[in-house]
Amino acid sequence: MLYRTAGQFKTSYEADQALFPVRQDAILLGVILAFAWVIFPLTASEFTFQTLLIPILIYALAAMGLNILTGYAGQLSLGTAAFMGVGAYACYKMVTIMPWMNPVVAIMLSGVFSAGVGVAFGIPSLRIKGFYLAIATLAAQFFLVWLFEKWAWLYNYNASGAIQVPNLEMFGVYVAGPQADSMVQYYVVLAIVSVMTMLCINLTRGNLGRTWKATRDVDIAAELIGINLMKSKLTAFMVSSYVVGVAGALFVFMWRGAAEPNLFDIPLSFRILFIAIIGGLGSILGNYLGAILIVGLPVVLGTLPAALGIPIASSTVEHINVMMVGGLIVFFLIIEPHGLAQLWRLIREKLIIWPFPH
Amino acid sequence: MRHLTRLAAVAALGAVMGTGVVAQELFAPNLSYRTGPFAATGIPLMNGQRDYMNMLNARDGGIGGVKINFEECETGYSTEKGVECYEKTKGQAIVTQPWSTGITLQVLPKTNVDEIPILAPGYGFSPMADGKVFQWAFNTPASYWDAASMMLRYIGDENLKGKKVAFLHLDHPFGKEPLPLLEKKAADIGFELLPIPVGLKEMQNQSAQWLQIRRERPDYVIMWGWGAMNAGAITEAVKTRFPMDKMIGVWWSGHDADLKIVGADGKGYKSISFSYPVLDAPVMADIKKYVVDAGDSLSNEEEMQGVFYSRGLVISMILAEGIKAAQAHTGKAEISASDLRWGLENLNVTDAVLADLGMTGMVPPFQTTCANHTGHSGGWMLEWDGEKFVKVSDLLQAEAEVIQPLEAATAAEYATANAPWAVSETCN
Repeated sequence: MLYRTAGQFKTSYEADQALFPVRQDAILLGVILAFAWVIFPLTASEFTFQTLLIPILIYALAAMGLNILTGYAGQLSLGTAAFMGVGAYACYKMVTIMPWMNPVVAIMLSGVFSAGVGVAFGIPSLRIKGFYLAIATLAAQFFLVWLFEKWAWLYNYNASGAIQVPNLEMFGVYVAGPQADSMVQYYVVLAIVSVMTMLCINLTRGNLGRTWKATRDVDIAAELIGINLMKSKLTAFMVSSYVVGVAGALFVFMWRGAAEPNLFDIPLSFRILFIAIIGGLGSILGNYLGAILIVGLPVVLGTLPAALGIPIASSTVEHINVMMVGGLIVFFLIIEPHGLAQLWRLIREKLIIWPFPH
Repeated sequence: MRHLTRLAAVAALGAVMGTGVVAQELFAPNLSYRTGPFAATGIPLMNGQRDYMNMLNARDGGIGGVKINFEECETGYSTEKGVECYEKTKGQAIVTQPWSTGITLQVLPKTNVDEIPILAPGYGFSPMADGKVFQWAFNTPASYWDAASMMLRYIGDENLKGKKVAFLHLDHPFGKEPLPLLEKKAADIGFELLPIPVGLKEMQNQSAQWLQIRRERPDYVIMWGWGAMNAGAITEAVKTRFPMDKMIGVWWSGHDADLKIVGADGKGYKSISFSYPVLDAPVMADIKKYVVDAGDSLSNEEEMQGVFYSRGLVISMILAEGIKAAQAHTGKAEISASDLRWGLENLNVTDAVLADLGMTGMVPPFQTTCANHTGHSGGWMLEWDGEKFVKVSDLLQAEAEVIQPLEAATAAEYATANAPWAVSETCN
């Protein structure tokens, strides 16, 4: 019906390999982008910006970084939060040492530092795989958080040990810090996340992405057909950590406004891993769906009782919320173990052949 | 897509309705934490705060004839949730009570832009005392630096000189707060300060830290603990036979339930406090009559006798007095956030006021001004006698001459780091 592909002929290889071989997909994306760029900013309240739109985008970006490593290259990592921390602290040091620096440039550059750290911690992946590698990345997690606590230079010897985002201007408008307007921050986040998403889509569809997938599926076979495993794994670590580092800088500079070291501790790593797994490993769309489920849904559920006028104590709402989100995660994983992205893929396929399923 | 629009629709609906205009009441939300790892210490405080406001609503019909909507927003002590709660409530709220040093640090810069008073009694950032820089922040009646200074005064300079003091603290902005003052005093008096951080993950198992304490043999242990860390430290201290009378905790480390675990073995443990439970105070009788007997309280008999419950009462009293002062000043009952700021800046809780409130002896008298947002009430040293906390000192005062320059310097530093930072021009 909506997804009827009859009449859409591909007359060239280019058309067949296009990002959206089905026209409806492109239209759908256009509508989503219109919502993201125009309708949400026009209608959203401060609360919606700060608790739904901005965090969903940032978490989705972090999950995308992890997904490149875990979903595409098959290297399980538990150190995502620490790499986010590297990005955040790098960005903080850059803007405090060089206050004239354009904040967006600083955010994009901070990914470089986490990419470097990511590669260093990715070296063991050449020798160890699977759960053993997860333990090695766990070491990165513990070591880096410890470093954020102990290396006072990183937080400019602040007595509280926390980093506080200063007011940063770009072209006369505050983009970070307490003076910044939520809508401005949202647009900065949206622009960066959009660019990074494009980058990730192209990378994963291209030569590098195929190399990663080959490494993930059967690494010995990949090596036999001439893929350099070292290069493949290390580039995956590099690209992944870069994206995660940028997400970390956005996390602190565009959203939180301040951070203490234990923010980047293991619960955040797990949260991002859950987003990636529930959204769907090896998928770009899944990161967004996962972030909506894990980050957005609890916030929406939390406002529901008040909106419907049901008088329950806030702590009870919190308990119910945790149970409901947990239940939903189990439910979604039971109906589709490969994540929300796969669920969408199946729905879409059914829609294309509807009403004549074979 | 459908997912997204529906979600957005629900979100928009929630956002619109959640912050809907509530007529004829003052919205004073509390960012509570009745869940999570710190819930055990949070619940009595939250109950005390809630009961005091409920009592005012039931007994006097609110404050100045307007009911107080003392809604709680659950944070679980998580900074992320705290910011979410702040954003959710700030539209209508006349005050924000963040209840965690982490959340306070996070929302402090935002309140300066949104112009909402932030009330953090006995916690938060010590330089918030400087009302010129931190126009919207209040840590009445005493700050962490006050606490540290009072503890050192209680021990006495002559007992400190040449001695070794271990500073056992949570490795968190909260635990690091008093370090600048302790370091300064260590240099001035000439004692050796030994900071021993306890990571959030090690709170329940502090064997490594106590091994270090046994090895270093400090003469005193000053503790800045919270939540599960207190019980962990106190049980370890008993286990390692550290002399309990040489161990002094901050006011958040003086929770009855933590000491009840060790009972008589904890005898001699001390905790500085700006509040004290007076069980026969008229305010307690009123709470019993209007809240507990009406079945409106979430608390219980045992909890209500504790230090933390009565501290909750004191904290709500500070807010209520601020509202009263603002109402008297503006002449209207429904005050705004900036009116409340005036009220909190012009608190004058004297002995007479306390007697009037039926809270004599529950908190030392204090007075705030435009430039002094703490009020520096001073406090008492409480000691665990095996069953409950008892007062063992007269009113102790912090060393204002040491703290004030430190406050001014740190506040100025904060303002420059966060430039442009709106400072108050009116007070001197």
